[in-house]
Amino acid sequence: MTSIGTGYDLANSIYSPDGRNFQVEYAVKAVENGGTSIGIRCKDGVVLAVEKVIASKLLKPNANKRIATVDRHLGIVYSGMIPDGRHLVDRARDEARNHRDTFKSPIPTRDLANRMGGYMQAYTLYQSVRPFGVTAILGGFDSDLEQPVDGEVGSGPSCGGGGKVEGQKHGGPWLAMIEPSGTYWGYYGAATGKGRQAAKAELEKLNLAAGEITIKEAVKEAARIIYIAHDDNKDKDFELEMSWISGSDGPTKGKHVEVPSDLLAEAEGLARKAIEKDLEGDDEEEKDKMEE
Amino acid sequence: MNHLPQAWGRPRDDVYGAYDASYLQTSGPKQATQQPIVTGTSVIAMKFNEGVVIAADNLASYGALARFTDVKRLRVFLDSSVVGFSGDVSDMQYLDRHLNELAIDEAYDLETAATKDTSKPSGKLNAANLHKYLQKVLYKRRSDFDPLWNQILVAGFDAASKPFLASVDLRGTAFTSPSLATGFGAALAQPIMRNYAATEEDAARLTREEAVNVVKDCMKVLFYRDARSLDKYSIAVVTKDGVELKENEQLERQSWAFAERIKGYGTQTV
Amino acid sequence: MFRNNYDNDSVTFSPQGRIFQVEYAAEAVKQGSVVVGIVSDTHAVLVGLKRNAEELSSYQKKIFRIDEHVGIAIAGLTSDARVLSQFMKTQCLAHRLHFGRDMAVFDIVNRIGSKAQINTQHYGKRPYGVGLLVAGVDATGPHLFEFQPSGMTEEMTAFSIGARSQMARTYLEKNVEAFAKCSREELIRHALKALKESLVQDRELTVENTSVGITGVVTAEDGTRTVEPFKVYDGQEVAAWLEDGMDVDP
Repeated sequence: MTSIGTGYDLANSIYSPDGRNFQVEYAVKAVENGGTSIGIRCKDGVVLAVEKVIASKLLKPNANKRIATVDRHLGIVYSGMIPDGRHLVDRARDEARNHRDTFKSPIPTRDLANRMGGYMQAYTLYQSVRPFGVTAILGGFDSDLEQPVDGEVGSGPSCGGGGKVEGQKHGGPWLAMIEPSGTYWGYYGAATGKGRQAAKAELEKLNLAAGEITIKEAVKEAARIIYIAHDDNKDKDFELEMSWISGSDGPTKGKHVEVPSDLLAEAEGLARKAIEKDLEGDDEEEKDKMEE
Repeated sequence: MNHLPQAWGRPRDDVYGAYDASYLQTSGPKQATQQPIVTGTSVIAMKFNEGVVIAADNLASYGALARFTDVKRLRVFLDSSVVGFSGDVSDMQYLDRHLNELAIDEAYDLETAATKDTSKPSGKLNAANLHKYLQKVLYKRRSDFDPLWNQILVAGFDAASKPFLASVDLRGTAFTSPSLATGFGAALAQPIMRNYAATEEDAARLTREEAVNVVKDCMKVLFYRDARSLDKYSIAVVTKDGVELKENEQLERQSWAFAERIKGYGTQTV
Repeated sequence: MFRNNYDNDSVTFSPQGRIFQVEYAAEAVKQGSVVVGIVSDTHAVLVGLKRNAEELSSYQKKIFRIDEHVGIAIAGLTSDARVLSQFMKTQCLAHRLHFGRDMAVFDIVNRIGSKAQINTQHYGKRPYGVGLLVAGVDATGPHLFEFQPSGMTEEMTAFSIGARSQMARTYLEKNVEAFAKCSREELIRHALKALKESLVQDRELTVENTSVGITGVVTAEDGTRTVEPFKVYDGQEVAAWLEDGMDVDP
């Protein structure tokens, strides 16, 4: 059934006779026009990456960051309407801060995903607002260590705090993708935006659920995937932006930070090589066919 | 005699007349914090040629009781400033959480790069900015008649990359000096520190080692004479390279010989 | 009256995922007269073409000082710009009061971006009908940002918005490599030349219709920074730039 001309798609929160909210589906369309974002969950952390299409030569190179830090251990990247994404990031920061105020500890990644999902869902409920034109990928590393409560003085009791059980593994990396409807799922590899199909196909090849890949490897894979997902024919040049989060014993010491420039350059170099190889491979295949 | 519970602990009516309960208001103005409860004593700090040294002991007293002996009252802000708290410990915790959130705010946009280029100015909140902010917070709270019961020293650097040291108290009063001390330290440590750094010029001639030694000596004097102090303390040195914080220092080479000569109070009978 | 069913308000997506009301607001920016901004390693400059409603009326201001270190150039609805400018002024002032420092330029820009985004998501509100170029200096040096009615903000090395601004942008793109190392005077001349590109035929830049705003920071060899406060130059103050700058290469 087509949505156009029926009148059911003219306002948010209206069901069509077959139970769809078309305005939410149109918001998804806005996402599908945005630059590709991906997230990879590894055994020792999370990597986020985004393709930033350079619409004008006059943009300042390497400024205009698209991956945002929400709390020390949390990052968000999004595809779609960028001002909507920024609003969402502001909200995520408020949620993270409120969690600290209430619980005196950093917000677990899945709790933030839940809050963000609730917030976005609320924008599908009323005719007075429109849904968010973004899909957000949220990556975090909840500390696996015994951590002091915020503002703690002294060493406190020696038994574990924060409901932790001795001997049991707590925390770790987590990745979620939140859609304009407010739906969110946990992922090992998530992709959204223009090049999501190609990116998903590549992510599936990595066998991420086995939990064997490290973030250092994932940085290179992420760069390669963004390069593959980029459509040379349609789009102008692009910049690759990447961030990562490891545990306290990893390269980022539990913080969400930009991937260091030397590693980024190395990953981009490898990505370019991989793409060239792919193209050569294609040519050879064609040649083979010709010979046949 | 009235033995009912409501008369317990009150002067007897038959001896002192009817009890004047008027001060026990059931309604009336809101009564906010009127005194500190669990407290930390002095914080002392002084500048030297390329930074600031700051120290405070690890005691939190409940009145005269030495209640908690492992309380760290020096807090590092953004790896570049140190805030030393004296006064109410719960208010210190509140401010510490507040500063933690402020530090996260600052990190949103400025500290994303793992490999920070330290040669370039970062524009992050320096000690002078932080001190100005704390002054506003404390003054706002005293104006609401709900003060945060602390006196605070802020050590670090200002916008011109010069060593910075300043104080702010529960009334929002703020000032700066080459050396500063809160609480008992203002009477006992400050004169000693001024022997070495009376002016900014003096402080600029002091080496790090000299300043650390002076501060350690002052901590010892404070332990000798301040009954709410402890011989375990924290000391931090702030330089351009960052903050070196040691939280479990022990006062060394104590000599209580002088105590023999003090007469006139306590259990002494001679 | 309406082009289609999806363009009545800013809370309705079209089937392609567009919000027409926001796009129409962007058209309002193109109705405003042109402004140009450029940054070098040391300075940020804004220039603008002022319009007068009629021969005998005064010229509408295009460049405004926000704070010591920041200024804006506007294209579109001037009254909307005044709301944003007032907001930016109070934010800068509050930041200075609370922290004793200049507010970072990206911070100010993000704040108006967030403010504008709200207007694109709630029924009964309308997007701002103005675009801004925000130029300023902070601890990390000089910056130039573009602000759009959608709430989109982007940092640029040079940019132009307003009527016929494409011509100015073409000039800027041609010379973009040179801007970083430009001196203060060279930068102003580049900006004025870009501005001139977008004039309609037979129009000239004059002391009446040309406005220049500059801020900068010069770091001496010993590391001391001297900030040149944002200042708007109008009338005879721009005469020298117009006389000896326009024919020579910057």
